[in-house]
Amino acid sequence: MEYTYLLIGLIISYLIGAASSIILNKKDHLCACAAFISASIASVFGIILSLSVVFGETFTFTLSSSSFLNFGFFVDRLSAFFILLISIAVFAVSIYSIGYAKEYFGKKNIGYLGFLYNIFILSMILVVTANNAVMFLIVWELMSVISYFLVVYEHEKPEVRKAGFIYIVMTHIGTGFIILSFLILASGSGSFDFETFSSTGAAMPQMLKDLVFLFALIGFGAKAGIVPLHIWLPYAHPAAPSNVSALMSGVMIKTAIYMLIRVFFDFLGAGVLWWGVLVLILASASALLGVMYALMEHDIKRLLAYHSVENIGIILIGISVSMIFVSSGYTELAAFGLIAGLYHTVNHAVFKSLLFMGAGSLIYSTHTRNMEDMGGLLKKMPWTGLFFLVGSISISALPPLNGFVSEWLTFQAQLLSINLSDNIIKIAVLSSGAALALTSALAAACFVKAFGISFLALPRSKAVEHAKEGPKSMLFGMGTLSLLCIILGVLPFYFVPVLNSIAAPLVGTTISKVTFDLSLAVFSLRSESISTMWLFLMLFIFLSLPFILALAVGGRTPTKTYDTWGCGQPVTTARNEYTATAFSKPIRMWLGNIYRPHREIQITYAGSPYFKERLTFDAQVEPIFEKYMYEPVAGLVVSVSRILRVIQTGSIHAYLAYIFITLIILFAFVISGGG
Amino acid sequence: MSELVFGSKIMQLIIALILVSTFMILGSTRLYSCVRAFGIQSFLLASVAGIVAYSTGRYEIYIIALLTLVIKAAVIPYIFIYIIREIKVKREIDLYVNISPSLIIGGVLIVISYYLIRSINIRTELSSFALSASMSLVSIGLFIMISRKKAIMQMLGILIMENGLFLGAISLTHGMPLLVELGIFFDVLIGVLIMGILIFRINKTFECIDTDMLKTLIG
Repeated sequence: MEYTYLLIGLIISYLIGAASSIILNKKDHLCACAAFISASIASVFGIILSLSVVFGETFTFTLSSSSFLNFGFFVDRLSAFFILLISIAVFAVSIYSIGYAKEYFGKKNIGYLGFLYNIFILSMILVVTANNAVMFLIVWELMSVISYFLVVYEHEKPEVRKAGFIYIVMTHIGTGFIILSFLILASGSGSFDFETFSSTGAAMPQMLKDLVFLFALIGFGAKAGIVPLHIWLPYAHPAAPSNVSALMSGVMIKTAIYMLIRVFFDFLGAGVLWWGVLVLILASASALLGVMYALMEHDIKRLLAYHSVENIGIILIGISVSMIFVSSGYTELAAFGLIAGLYHTVNHAVFKSLLFMGAGSLIYSTHTRNMEDMGGLLKKMPWTGLFFLVGSISISALPPLNGFVSEWLTFQAQLLSINLSDNIIKIAVLSSGAALALTSALAAACFVKAFGISFLALPRSKAVEHAKEGPKSMLFGMGTLSLLCIILGVLPFYFVPVLNSIAAPLVGTTISKVTFDLSLAVFSLRSESISTMWLFLMLFIFLSLPFILALAVGGRTPTKTYDTWGCGQPVTTARNEYTATAFSKPIRMWLGNIYRPHREIQITYAGSPYFKERLTFDAQVEPIFEKYMYEPVAGLVVSVSRILRVIQTGSIHAYLAYIFITLIILFAFVISGGG
Repeated sequence: MSELVFGSKIMQLIIALILVSTFMILGSTRLYSCVRAFGIQSFLLASVAGIVAYSTGRYEIYIIALLTLVIKAAVIPYIFIYIIREIKVKREIDLYVNISPSLIIGGVLIVISYYLIRSINIRTELSSFALSASMSLVSIGLFIMISRKKAIMQMLGILIMENGLFLGAISLTHGMPLLVELGIFFDVLIGVLIMGILIFRINKTFECIDTDMLKTLIG
């Protein structure tokens, strides 16, 4: 009963947020406060609800029931886990948004932003709680469409409109496949209820199950951003306001992960081996290509968007390894793989929202997204710098922060594949481990670039010189998630058992032999252990030791302020600095086959070749997928439409005649006895 | 009961007259006479409803008959005449399909509708007469919309289709629930008003109400 009140409270709070932002439309400040504070209150409801379900009972709430369709909510532990994830991110991002919305005061309609923001979050909550396919598709579409409107919030810019178009096309292609997948499931099980799907889905003929699997993979993969379908992310995430991109990248793409888990584990049962292998290959490709393209980006939000592709890949590696284990009958190992995937899901939600908020703060104070124009911001924005650093360390999977824990678990899951009997699969899983290792290394390189170029050294342009720290609410939002990054990293032994109980019903067993002391040793089977807790403590001890020693033994030493040593050359301007392009040059050369870099140097001479007037340099990485996969398809669609355009005459009479002719043909059909 | 109502000679006569009134619209090149024919058609429809009400003894069908009389036979024709007068439209109708082919096509449509209703098994032979007439009205209404250029005739066409649906409904069910009927009447009235306003706008934009001009709007 108390669950129902919580759920209703949650929904009403979001609706109040939406309504009040419309009502207070004219007063920017008040409107922002009302919209975002009620969103954060609603997220507190969400946190309480999800925690009580995770530690308690499954909860169902029926809105209307008929023999055919039962509209209602269904919250089991998996749903609750995703509600928790959404609510945590929403809490931090909403508080951050109170400050961030100032960016738009007087320029844009805040009421519109607040309204869409609240409805967007509500639709995400409904997506993970819907109890039947029809209701799911409605709220899924709502989520897609509202997020489209949020992406095109700054629609006066042409590139934003382009981004919105790519996004809505990709998301609708995905929805098409989702509908196909659900229709097959519904025809196989005889109902649209998710509960019926999960009880009878596994008994369907294998061919139908294969189709459901493939369609769901394509449909939800388009939303999640698995590699050939990822092209919308690097457009849509930078185009949206930063608080929205924090939610889109941190949380919205996770709803696709939720449904993938639901379909693969819950609806389709154990599955067959090649499913897991296919997902594993796609996931490894997403992880590697995502980070590779991220390295070449100098737009900070595009960089983060590519990292979403990478991290979705890592999450799916854990899940696919789990699928392989399930289909081979190793349920305990499967639970472990799923725990790794879920852990990375929550971690990615936390640190990616944090990083997008950090990027938002940079944009808020410098009004540029190009990292080459930033630099030297650590002195001007120390707190933002600290929080961004925490996020960077997490995403680079460095101990003792949270990214490390989940990637370590994923590695363990991959290494445990030596238990499998099939050698080919064994090699495939282990080589995906190599891919993951390379991904982590490249991610670290990428964030050395992202943090170093934007925060360190001297300011590279005028835009940065007057940068100031943002409002307190923005710092609070980022601080909350930074703290969470540390907690999730240092105390994983509290969270793994919880994830264990979430994964248990999906794979059919829990990991029984778990030792959770201060370390992360999971299996007595082949135990590898590491303790981020101890690492953290050691870090403290060994970092503070020199200071203590210096203070105790050395006493006071004279300080001298002096310029940085610049290899004998005086470092005076920002032009001597290392740039992001230069930093990523070695990798661009090394992976030249993939990037196919294109460089163009244009020199304009002033009369004689000895006097150069202007020099422009343009370097680009070839967008392989867009060029060789999407452009031909788009070209085909356009040319077919051009042919079909003949029937669009613009004459009302012609349109009516189409109806009339159809009617007559149908009449003839009935008269001839066809009916 | 239904045999009694629809089998009666007077009923068959009225339904035949409704078809004749439709042909008056098809065969006329004057806007006023079209509107007048539509008024007659609606009046006949009201009397169909009245007869059904009388023989079934259900009072709400009287209300429906009355409403038909007031709205379709009086108010809507008045609105038409008002529009024609206000925008000073040329009184003649421009056609895509000439009068004599129109009449032939109308006849063919009635034959098709008749066969159509015969081929789907309706319970009684007699109410199928009303039903095939209603089908004819729908298809002829659509045909009028296609073959006439003036926007007013498109409006008239859709109202003829609506009359056809009304006849179909009353012949199948002896009158739908009053609430539904009231809703439909309201819809029709509002529809006519909106279409009237649209015609004013089209007239303002293109200096005429020839829907042929709307072709220039395609991208």
